[in-house]
Amino acid sequence: MLQFIGPAAGLLFTLQNIIWINLGVFIGSVFAAIPGLSVILCVILFLPVTYRLSAIPGMMFLLGIYCAGGYGGSVSAILINTPGTPHAAATMLDGHPLSKQGRTKVALKIALYASTFGGIFSAITLLFLGPQVAQIASQLGTAEYFMVCLFGLTIIAGVSGKSMVKGIISACIGLWISCIGSDPMTSYDRFTFGVPRLYLGLDLAVCLIGLFALVEIMSRAEDKKEVLHVDTRKMKDDGVLTPDEKKRIRLPIFLSSLIGVMVGIIPGTGASEASWFSYNTVKNISKHKEEFGHGSVEGIAAAEAANNAVTGATLIPLLTLGIPGDGTVAIMLSALMINGLNPGLSLFTTDGDIMYAIMLGLILVNVFMLLQGKLLTQLFAKVVLIPKEILTPIIVIFCFAGAYSVNKNYFDVGVTLVFALIAWILRKFDMPAVPILLGMVLGKMTETNFRRALFISDGNPKIFFSSIYCIIFLLLIIVAIGAIVRSKMTENKAANKGE
Amino acid sequence: MKKRILSMGVALGMMASMMVGMTAQAAETWTVTCPWAPSGVAAMVSQQAATKSTEYSDDLILVAEAVKGDAATVNTWVASNQAGDNSLVFAGEGLLSITSLLDPAKLQFDYENFAYVENLYSSIFVLSAEASLGLEGVEALEAYVESGEAISVAVNGATGSEAFLAAALFGAMGAGDQLKLVPYESAAEAAQAVAKGETTFAVSHQSQIQETYQQGDVTIVCAFDESALENGPFAGVEGVGEYGYPYFRNRCFVMAPAGTEEETVTALRTLYDDILADEEVTSWLQDTMLLEVDTMTEEDVKAHIENVKAIVEEYEEIVAG
Amino acid sequence: MKDLIERIDSGFDRISLRLEDKEIQAPVDLIAGILFLLFGVFILAIMPEQVTVSEKDVVNGRAFPTMLMGLLMFCCVLLIGKEVIRIIRKQPLTRKTINLLVEVKALVIFCILLVTFLICKYTGQFVAGAVFCCLGFLIYFRCKKPAYYAITLVLAVAIWAAFRYLLKVNF
Repeated sequence: MLQFIGPAAGLLFTLQNIIWINLGVFIGSVFAAIPGLSVILCVILFLPVTYRLSAIPGMMFLLGIYCAGGYGGSVSAILINTPGTPHAAATMLDGHPLSKQGRTKVALKIALYASTFGGIFSAITLLFLGPQVAQIASQLGTAEYFMVCLFGLTIIAGVSGKSMVKGIISACIGLWISCIGSDPMTSYDRFTFGVPRLYLGLDLAVCLIGLFALVEIMSRAEDKKEVLHVDTRKMKDDGVLTPDEKKRIRLPIFLSSLIGVMVGIIPGTGASEASWFSYNTVKNISKHKEEFGHGSVEGIAAAEAANNAVTGATLIPLLTLGIPGDGTVAIMLSALMINGLNPGLSLFTTDGDIMYAIMLGLILVNVFMLLQGKLLTQLFAKVVLIPKEILTPIIVIFCFAGAYSVNKNYFDVGVTLVFALIAWILRKFDMPAVPILLGMVLGKMTETNFRRALFISDGNPKIFFSSIYCIIFLLLIIVAIGAIVRSKMTENKAANKGE
Repeated sequence: MKKRILSMGVALGMMASMMVGMTAQAAETWTVTCPWAPSGVAAMVSQQAATKSTEYSDDLILVAEAVKGDAATVNTWVASNQAGDNSLVFAGEGLLSITSLLDPAKLQFDYENFAYVENLYSSIFVLSAEASLGLEGVEALEAYVESGEAISVAVNGATGSEAFLAAALFGAMGAGDQLKLVPYESAAEAAQAVAKGETTFAVSHQSQIQETYQQGDVTIVCAFDESALENGPFAGVEGVGEYGYPYFRNRCFVMAPAGTEEETVTALRTLYDDILADEEVTSWLQDTMLLEVDTMTEEDVKAHIENVKAIVEEYEEIVAG
Repeated sequence: MKDLIERIDSGFDRISLRLEDKEIQAPVDLIAGILFLLFGVFILAIMPEQVTVSEKDVVNGRAFPTMLMGLLMFCCVLLIGKEVIRIIRKQPLTRKTINLLVEVKALVIFCILLVTFLICKYTGQFVAGAVFCCLGFLIYFRCKKPAYYAITLVLAVAIWAAFRYLLKVNF
């Protein structure tokens, strides 16, 4: 490895590469901040730019978009309670409440620092442990994937609010929505009601706009007249984290970066799963559980560190085994292959300098993301100062344009309206919308792996206990359920005492 | 206030003129939808063609898009696009010959819904086996099948070329009852499944099993072609055709909506032909993707579809079990 | 324009005054339980028609949604059961105050969104819908500052133009 670092640094540190990194980071941040405009769409749109570039500047530009996209989604989640990308949904739970408390800059800063740490942590993992980690990840099979999903579903308890029963109902609805469309195992249509547009299922980004952004617009109906004209400029927002807050976010950032890396190396899982897993884990171990959902600095740090830690980790199976972990990375794979680089362990010896330049570049991308983010935070924080009369229709236009852009049809815009209505009705019943999102994120993966595992084992459920990894995940599930029961019992005790 | 409105007006005017300028210069953008995983062979070839499109045309730009979903993606595409829309889609014998016969309910289209543009490549699928089985060659496979061991094959998608070829091969060997086809969501996942030991075999494109093979996790048993492979890292691997088992090459047709003007179709075909004649593309397809450039006339395409249909009809009972 | 806004304003004020104090105490848990129970029954009822299965499948395409609906219905029964026990024990039900004014305002906002969508869809001109959306919300918020109208409309056109010409979204 060491023999490649020198030549790799030589290839990487050129003015051209630094310009491309910065361009990518800027475009990625802005794109991801707009609900509906996904990182993958951004990469597809700007891929032709890389056609005339060689492998390193091309990859640096795409990595800039990819990493900044991981951070950019948090901006709208914090500012307007609408995650710009699905993986920023967990950030929204605490980011927006903190912003509402007049601490927008603090929320944006935590998101930025956590994202940067997560990104650099995963880049270092990729650099030093890539091939070893990839070997472990490649041993995870269908049964292990199902156990990961099952573990993910225990998060429902953490995001259910006051009533876990209602949270489970919401999650069931989300999981059911993920069944709409073509059956992943047989390709038969399910619950499409003869509507051709439903054959491919409902797009997560589209549903997200309705569930969170448009319902937030409808909730303007709850504003009293005087709230509309609150002068947000008078709110104190110096953007300074207190020493206690700085101390409190350290462990969540480190732990979530680790979780993000672990989730990221498993192909098929992604930043959404990682941010939920770490949000839930950090909540469970926090001494300030009551703050979660109400502007917890730990919550923001956990979600953001994890979703950016996925970026480098997803590249591990890509560069070492040629397996793209998600759609965006798959496009990067084609960008590499077009340059004649066929990812795999053999590439580390034949084109080691290029491989290591890309891995070192990932660290550089995160550094520039931090620098740009620091400047942009000042600008983004001003969004909350825009009068609601102007901001509200602009958000709607962005949401509609974003929803249309996903599949380039108005059907999806209609879907956002339906979801807005569903979310409004759920609010009336005090039912949380976040478990619906969680169900939609995990649904397809849970079902496919559950059915495939049983198919492989001829219906024998022993397959779910057949490997050491399955046992580890099973133990984690038991611990998670134990924590849920314990926390509910504590809550009940406290409630009884209060009475 | 007046100043503000004036400056805003000027800004708007500048923006409008800029956009008019951009539209005046803009070439026609054609979105090419690949209904399979973005990591798949077809998506990457499409991406490469899109990359090259700007070199060979000032009027047409190809934009590659991959929406995995197979029949569902093409169903949606057919429902959303008509003549005049700048939209293209990929289709292969998997949809037009296999699914259309074995499971027509899944398709909301047929060949008549498309205007054929060009075929990009032909690919020979290979059958790989878990390394511990030590299977190399058709005779070793026959012996394995005869021993009555379980046969599970990882394939990309529940229906399609890979699934059919596996079913037809093992069916023809008389092991239809032992066979289990395990569908994965991409060819890369299917190739990984056999390396992990989740299945005993996998059918995949050569390029997608190459890395796993080089790591020593799988062996290559045979190729789905008439005779042994001549080029690439798997040169010498036996073709199943030599032993009388069914085979066909995988093709990938670019289609426009039915009714698209002949002139437009011709312009698109010329663009694809120019791209496929590019030396860089040819050597990339051959050396990196382990594919062959294979431009075809519409008659050739129809003949390929009919040929595969004939094979499907012959093996239908075996495959349907 | 000013007259129109003032007339709309006074109209809104009259309706607001009438609705402001009208509140409904809804037994939300009971209603939610029944509603989602019926939803579960409906999904199970349409399952055979909506989900084709093959006899060969070890776990077919209906298994997972059936399990989900089973769990959903079980939770609904728990929710309803809890409320029924309250009724038996003559304890107050879990209720939520629904303010009619809020609901009417939410309906107005939803109508603005819906009409925006319909204009976009049926004219094929996203920009037309965007302009309507701006005007709709500015009037809803009773905005009387012309600068706000100008800024919002310019931004709306700019967003459309950015999507249309830079991102090549054809709408």
